Amino acid sequence: MDAPVRELTFAQAIQDALAIALKEDERVFLMGEDIGVYGGAFQVTGDLVERFGEERVMDTPISELGAAGVAVGAALTGTRPILEFQFSDFSMLAMEQIVNQAAKLRYMLGGAVSVPLVFRMPTGSGLGGAAQHSQSLEAWFAHVPGLKVVEPSTPHDAKGLLLAAVADPDPVLIFEHKLLYKMSGPVPEGPYTVPLDKAEIRRSGGDVTIVASAIMSLRALEAAKVLAEQEVDAEVIDLRALRPLDMATIKSSVKKTTRLLCVYEGVKTLGLGAEISAAIAESEAFDYLDAPTIRLGGAESPIPYSPGLEKAAVPQVADIVEAAAKLARGRI
Amino acid sequence: MNDKATAGAARTAANRSAIYDRLSVDELREALRKMHLIRRFEESAEDAYVRGLSYGTMHLSIGQEATAVGVCATLTDADTITSTHRGHGHCIAKGADVARMYAEFLGKETGYCRGRGGSMHIADPSKGNLGANGIVGGGIPIAVGAALSAKKRKTGAVAVSFFGDGANNEGAFHESLNIASIWKLPVVFVCENNQYGMSMSAERSTAVKDVAARASAYAMPGVIVDGNNFAEVAGTTFEAVDRARRGEGPTLIEAKTYRTRGHSRSDRNRYRTKEEIEAWKRRDPILLFEAELEALGLVLRDEADAMRASVENEMAAAIAFATASAAPSPAEVTRYVYSDEAI
Amino acid sequence: MATEVILPRVDMDMTSGKFSQWFFQEGARVEKGEPLFEIETDKAAMEVDAPASGVLRGVTAKPGDELPVGSVIGWIYAPEEKYETRPVLAKTASEPQRIAPSSGEATHREKTSTEASPGLRATPMARRLARERGVDLKEVSGSGPNGRVQARDIAATERPPAAAGRAPLHSVWLRQGQGAPFVFLHGFGADLNAWRPLIGVLSVARPILALDLPGHGKSALAGAVDFETIVGAVEASLKDNGIGVGHFVGHSLGGAIAGAIAGRRPGLARSLTLISPAGLGPEINDAFRAGFLQARAEETLAPWVRLLTSGETAYQSAMMKTTLRQRADPRLVIGQERIAASIFGGGAQAFSIRESLERLTVPVKVIFGRDDQIIPARHARGLAGAVALHLFAHVGHMPHFEAQAAVARLIEEAAAAGDALSSS
Repeated sequence: MDAPVRELTFAQAIQDALAIALKEDERVFLMGEDIGVYGGAFQVTGDLVERFGEERVMDTPISELGAAGVAVGAALTGTRPILEFQFSDFSMLAMEQIVNQAAKLRYMLGGAVSVPLVFRMPTGSGLGGAAQHSQSLEAWFAHVPGLKVVEPSTPHDAKGLLLAAVADPDPVLIFEHKLLYKMSGPVPEGPYTVPLDKAEIRRSGGDVTIVASAIMSLRALEAAKVLAEQEVDAEVIDLRALRPLDMATIKSSVKKTTRLLCVYEGVKTLGLGAEISAAIAESEAFDYLDAPTIRLGGAESPIPYSPGLEKAAVPQVADIVEAAAKLARGRI
Repeated sequence: MNDKATAGAARTAANRSAIYDRLSVDELREALRKMHLIRRFEESAEDAYVRGLSYGTMHLSIGQEATAVGVCATLTDADTITSTHRGHGHCIAKGADVARMYAEFLGKETGYCRGRGGSMHIADPSKGNLGANGIVGGGIPIAVGAALSAKKRKTGAVAVSFFGDGANNEGAFHESLNIASIWKLPVVFVCENNQYGMSMSAERSTAVKDVAARASAYAMPGVIVDGNNFAEVAGTTFEAVDRARRGEGPTLIEAKTYRTRGHSRSDRNRYRTKEEIEAWKRRDPILLFEAELEALGLVLRDEADAMRASVENEMAAAIAFATASAAPSPAEVTRYVYSDEAI
Repeated sequence: MATEVILPRVDMDMTSGKFSQWFFQEGARVEKGEPLFEIETDKAAMEVDAPASGVLRGVTAKPGDELPVGSVIGWIYAPEEKYETRPVLAKTASEPQRIAPSSGEATHREKTSTEASPGLRATPMARRLARERGVDLKEVSGSGPNGRVQARDIAATERPPAAAGRAPLHSVWLRQGQGAPFVFLHGFGADLNAWRPLIGVLSVARPILALDLPGHGKSALAGAVDFETIVGAVEASLKDNGIGVGHFVGHSLGGAIAGAIAGRRPGLARSLTLISPAGLGPEINDAFRAGFLQARAEETLAPWVRLLTSGETAYQSAMMKTTLRQRADPRLVIGQERIAASIFGGGAQAFSIRESLERLTVPVKVIFGRDDQIIPARHARGLAGAVALHLFAHVGHMPHFEAQAAVARLIEEAAAAGDALSSS
């Protein structure tokens, strides 16, 4: 990497990407609630409105469905909108335009149009937002053909994935975990992209494959350090892309380690881990499985308010260590 | 039937004459021809349906031709429209080729949507038709987005959102009008109030008597027109379009009209009386417009007959083309979900 | 032209309808729009209007007839039209094409005697290995939960019963994969876990077997403790694990053993990577050997562990932990003291592999750290020209920790070269 590298937070890296997109492509504009002078609920847009003006950084009224539909119409007719949902939970109000329209227009019109928009979704729990401000709904959207869904776990990837999403001719949803916004990491200056369809092996290992995304990728890496002291050598795969899933990387890893552990914050049942486990079982990697495929996911409840309960509702580092160690020792 | 405020009546009368100055004789004849074409297309579609030759259901706009053609007569190919599930008329009015429409209707690869959209999603982006929509109210915010885009790119284009009386109770309608108003977007909202949703009359479903009354809640003009009168529709729409192009923002037009057929072919018309249907049939918009043009000497009787014959030929050719076309290959079921050329 | 009277579709999913009754007879005058006949659907009876005005002729439908949608059931002739009997036109609507169910990719597993019997639990991996090696799953005892047979249990079945008096060595397949396997032999005082960090950065997909040398890790020490016996025990363990050919990687004492085996069993080693190997010269740091073995606590062990590397490495604490764990087992301590006395007694290495290396025609790499305080790097001088010598500056006795990535690459290179040579 020749460009100078700075230490930026996840939020700053996203702002950097937005600024680059706004500067390089006059078709790009931002929409969202309180993204202008307020700077965004998570201070991601910051001072972009001062730098680029209100025409490029547009505050919308609290009208998620309307705003999403406006984004669709604008994207259909020569512009590249980036719509920020204040919380991914609020996208429920816009499901009609996201799922019935944005995802399907290209197909329903036989390829005559495309919908080059980006929906940004602050996601996940851990800040006490409770049930309606803390959900992880990635799997719902990843279930819809016509959408592309990504979820970064580092500031570097947050910037690169957003720039790739803006350049993509199809609708892309980016899930930004709220606990990551203040975490720092190295981010090269200037424009670059990260592929929208590739997972990244964050740690090589031979005993067990741990597949995770967003904050769970970081927890998996912490768990891997603990596991190494117990002489369990974990391989950690950061998904990054949820639709499409990079099954090639996962398959290859499972063939090497013979054991699979999926860790995700969305509700366990009918979630990402269920898909990955099933896809592995259907693939050539099946004959290399030497243990059941294990899923660690969110609890079968809304996200609670009380902090102890909130933690207990989603996988933590200790849970990952326990599950991976049992898997590696053939005790599951 | 229609209630018109006296001020409205005076305005519409003025508009009626204005239209004959603004549109050329050729444009007026083309408008009449399109209305005939819509009627024959709808009847042919209906015929295919009852013979079991088409798939799924369809929603006919027979009796609503003047609204579709009247509005689209004020637009260019650069202007965009979004439409409803009852979108064949809008599609033809915006300049579509009936052969490709019929092929889409029969689910063939040569159709506008390569057989993948069908009647409810028929579209012709090259002529600015962003598509019929299977969701009530689905196209309204999309039209607002197209208007936003036109304003940003300074193209001078306007967007028109067609929707029915049922849509005016959807949240999307209210959010769209509000956004269009606060951002002063070049969009014209056209409500074709055919008095009924599926079976629920506008009277039973909507808190206000006229949809146009809702315009004031969003600080935009609301105008009622006789949806079966071409000149009135076109005249009022020109005003709204001009206003939009001048940067003065959106307008809500309510076109009072009627559908003489059921909501869809499964409709048994149990929710309205035969007398009501008959009364509206006598106000057939095509007959009204033809009579008006003949009275003004702009179309002669035998020219009108020749027009009908030409429309018959065009439909026959369209049906032949569509029938002979191939269906899409099952191997390509997932083709066109994503763009192939991701950067 | 006469107008067809057809049985209409009135519901989206209707494909046929039951004709109920005519309201007019053959030859009657009818008016467009008035009810002409009645049909019955699932939902209700429906009147159908006449599509034109004229004379009804050619009536074919009878009450109770079940007819496909679109069937022509009569004609309406304009008053002046001549009537001809017409054949009833066959319905032209085509059935929607039935798509033949796709054959899909049928991945049939051959039924063999190794297929699961009711109640037998075995992982997919174990089942495949059993299939491939002709092992009857029912005969294998499973080490997994609820008696589940796992891959290691299949491997275990292939070892013949240990010869009397000989204790089998503890071995672990650290990785599965394809191709000729790696065989890793650790050094004196360590155990097979010492290889894990290095293996973590190996990117090839080969199987990897690691052994605990006699008296180390989980391997018991049985019988004599001289170099030859130790080599023999390792050779036997290789046979037990079904190693017909492999790429050998050995550190220190393990390197010497690898070299010895390669020399006496031609064809067994396809490549050899020796990391700071013993057996190339007489000198060995005797003080280290003694002090290292005597130390039982962190404070007394630390200085000797520091001697192993040139400068600090991240792994020192891991090495300390592993070593102290072995010190906790008195049998291991005694065993290692006996080995040391036998092969390093009097401060000299009592064996040599130089001659073995001279004879080899496969790729051989010898890796030394210039700062090695245990075995001097100059032992690598004078080896045959075909042997590749890799000397690392600022590296001590543990190049596989201190220059991990580079050593991993060298191992992969040797193996690739060895494979290429054997297939040419």
